[in-house]
Amino acid sequence: MVSKDVEKLLLKVQKPGRYVGGELNEVIKEKDSVDVRFAFCFPDTYEVGMSHLGMKILYSLLNSKDYIWCERVFAPWIDMEKEMTDRNIPLYALESGDPVSDFDFIGFTLQYELSFSNVLNMLRLSNVPIKSSDRKDLRQIVVAGGPCACNPEPLADFIDLFFIGEGEEVDLEVIEVFRKCRKEGKSRSEFLRLCSQIEGVYVPSLYDVEYNDDGTIKSFMPKDNAPAVVHKRIMKDMNTSFYPDNFVVPLVEIVHDRAVQEIFRGCIRGCRFCQAGFIYRPVREKTPDVINEQCKKLCKNTGYDEVSLSSLSSSDYSQIVPLLEKLTEWSKDEKVSISLPSLRVDGFTDEIMNKIKTVRKSGLTFAPEAGSQRLRDVINKNVKEDELLSTCATAFDGGWTTVKLYFMIGLPTETLDDVAAIAKLGQSVVDTYYSCPNKPKGKSVRVTVSASSFVPKPFTPFQWEPQDTINDLHIKQEHIKNSITTKKIQFNYHDADTSFLEAVFARGDRKLCRILELACEKGFHFDGWNECFNLDEWLKLFEECGIDPSFYANRRRSFDEILPWDHIDYGVTKEYLIKECEKAYKNTTTPHCRLKCNNCGAAKYGEGVCFEKCKNMV
Amino acid sequence: MKNVRIWFKKDCECRYISHLDLNRCMLRALHKSKIPVWHTEGFNPHPFATFPLPLSLGFRGENECMDVRLEDDDYSFEEIIINLNQCLPRGIRAFSVTEPLMKAGRIAYADFTAVIESENASSTILAEKLREFYSQDKIEIEKRTKKGSKVIDIKPSVKKFEINEKFEFVQLNLILSAGSTDNVNPNLLFSAFEAFSGISVDAEITRNDLYNSDMELFR
Repeated sequence: MVSKDVEKLLLKVQKPGRYVGGELNEVIKEKDSVDVRFAFCFPDTYEVGMSHLGMKILYSLLNSKDYIWCERVFAPWIDMEKEMTDRNIPLYALESGDPVSDFDFIGFTLQYELSFSNVLNMLRLSNVPIKSSDRKDLRQIVVAGGPCACNPEPLADFIDLFFIGEGEEVDLEVIEVFRKCRKEGKSRSEFLRLCSQIEGVYVPSLYDVEYNDDGTIKSFMPKDNAPAVVHKRIMKDMNTSFYPDNFVVPLVEIVHDRAVQEIFRGCIRGCRFCQAGFIYRPVREKTPDVINEQCKKLCKNTGYDEVSLSSLSSSDYSQIVPLLEKLTEWSKDEKVSISLPSLRVDGFTDEIMNKIKTVRKSGLTFAPEAGSQRLRDVINKNVKEDELLSTCATAFDGGWTTVKLYFMIGLPTETLDDVAAIAKLGQSVVDTYYSCPNKPKGKSVRVTVSASSFVPKPFTPFQWEPQDTINDLHIKQEHIKNSITTKKIQFNYHDADTSFLEAVFARGDRKLCRILELACEKGFHFDGWNECFNLDEWLKLFEECGIDPSFYANRRRSFDEILPWDHIDYGVTKEYLIKECEKAYKNTTTPHCRLKCNNCGAAKYGEGVCFEKCKNMV
Repeated sequence: MKNVRIWFKKDCECRYISHLDLNRCMLRALHKSKIPVWHTEGFNPHPFATFPLPLSLGFRGENECMDVRLEDDDYSFEEIIINLNQCLPRGIRAFSVTEPLMKAGRIAYADFTAVIESENASSTILAEKLREFYSQDKIEIEKRTKKGSKVIDIKPSVKKFEINEKFEFVQLNLILSAGSTDNVNPNLLFSAFEAFSGISVDAEITRNDLYNSDMELFR
């Protein structure tokens, strides 16, 4: 619902349908009949945020309680932001049209580091003080969760409390404490202290940090009884865990405009660069029956004719073929197509291919991540070249003519030979096409090779590694370009400047809060978008604060350094990460969770893949 | 199998979605509603629906229509309305279903109401300037085409230009050429007015009805 003031702007901006709400299945409640109003903010555009599964889950979950009204807020695109600021219209929530500043909770999901500037900008546009210490009453509680909450320190001055791990239970527990505190007239600081006692809640203001002269952390001390280590929360049983049977169906086209069905959490693989592969451990699957029922309901309630099965690695789902059989039983009659993203090279079998072909033929994307076998062993991407080529051959025989290959450059121990191997692998895929006897007649092959720049992330075995400098990355990008000799390969690469800033904030500490505060004052926003990102402007801020960004991005840490996120526990032990890092330097791989338990620490949750074998034996 | 024309209003939030989005929205609602409409038979089957005359983004539509083919001749029109409305966002409401009497190509005129306001002119001045504007022999606008821009006179395409001065705004009742051969968007008229008068205006536009060349209601 939008106000008259906003309506006047809508015809002056691009895609005004993003700013009006009113979609099918949006939840409208009477604001006087709820105890708690929660503004769920996604720090990016509507099209991006509405595609995000976590938001859909939590939106439905919170609204399933009759005492909570959860509404959605997205970052207005730059044209709309300007119109709103020019007319002093504060940021509002889509359902009620009420200003965000009216809300009890203002929650952000942190999906990528480059959205941090948008988090602060959205607070600014809401006229909510950006610093936690400037918000005094028991309202406007700013909370955040999502993968980037695993290193919350760069946002420590702004966010009142972080949710560590999965939010389905802990969100509601915090809201319960809030209702109680409000009833009893408790203060904001009392509320935060009480919340810090809930497992999975991190209240940054309850910790003091001291630094060494070299800028590294000397000590990290909890106060007011806050726990020394905050442990993540997980949903132990995915079959009974809350899952929405309804999505808000957007009026305008969004990035992923389809129903999304989660099939499992976590990943068995343990690729050493991949944060998701470590922080979401252990793997917990839903049964095919549960997935099938949830899919049916979603399609029925949304009218979507496409469902995407979501997970970190779909082909690792232990019952993928029975699942696809169940789904295709009804999907064809209902004219619903099933898409299966995140396929691994070694998981693309004839059987899976034929099942997904019956509904819709989408593009094929594989991620070998590194060009040479040695480097794939370093990162523990257990994929062999002949597996990739035979998979591509299967696909070409099945009628596909385009393949996308994703790689990373700047990986630890990488040499220019490893980089050149990326081009070589692309060429081998092209050659495979022309040697396929059943390839589509009279069609040429197109191989897209994409290279992103490696960003070392917390809670991975590479969390101590330096990132390649921007210059190194440019040399490697050029090297690939020059190593490609055919027009059948299209080469794309990600901008190294953004990867650098991402690396700074990924492993940043509280000193970076000052940078973000200045960035907000200067109106920085949408740094994930080329239209807005400007590294030079950021570097000026670092200079102004006397902070060297390469300290965060390009420095090798020692194993005994206190890392800014050491007080957060995601289940995987530091000892394990060190062992994995050492194995990487010996080009040694680690078998995945289903082949062998490597004692990473995640078994302490008592659920999931760690216990699959034991269950089967009983 | 028979062709039916579903009549609906497009208002509230749904004023702000484009024709493409409306199309997507309708197809999804048809799919969800399980109304037995004929589907295309290509690789990605979807309900077949056509819109006799698309509505511009931002306009309210009082009598909009969409044509579909019904596979079950006995499926009642009331059921279509009820089932479709359950699957549509609140800004789009189906209210009637008819068997089409005219082909889409017969559309020749459209009837609009426009509420005109300006931050820097009173309604009296606006009304006066609008009268002056309309009394010109020609209303010339620059129209950009693929071959470059050319100046055309749209006055012959304005069949009615009725000015009603209200307290804070001016209400215009317009009948303009519409359809595939000669189509005048009211916004064209208002930008010509802005250029003529130097007054910038906000216009809230509603399309009320469509007519054929004999000024009979399009049905």
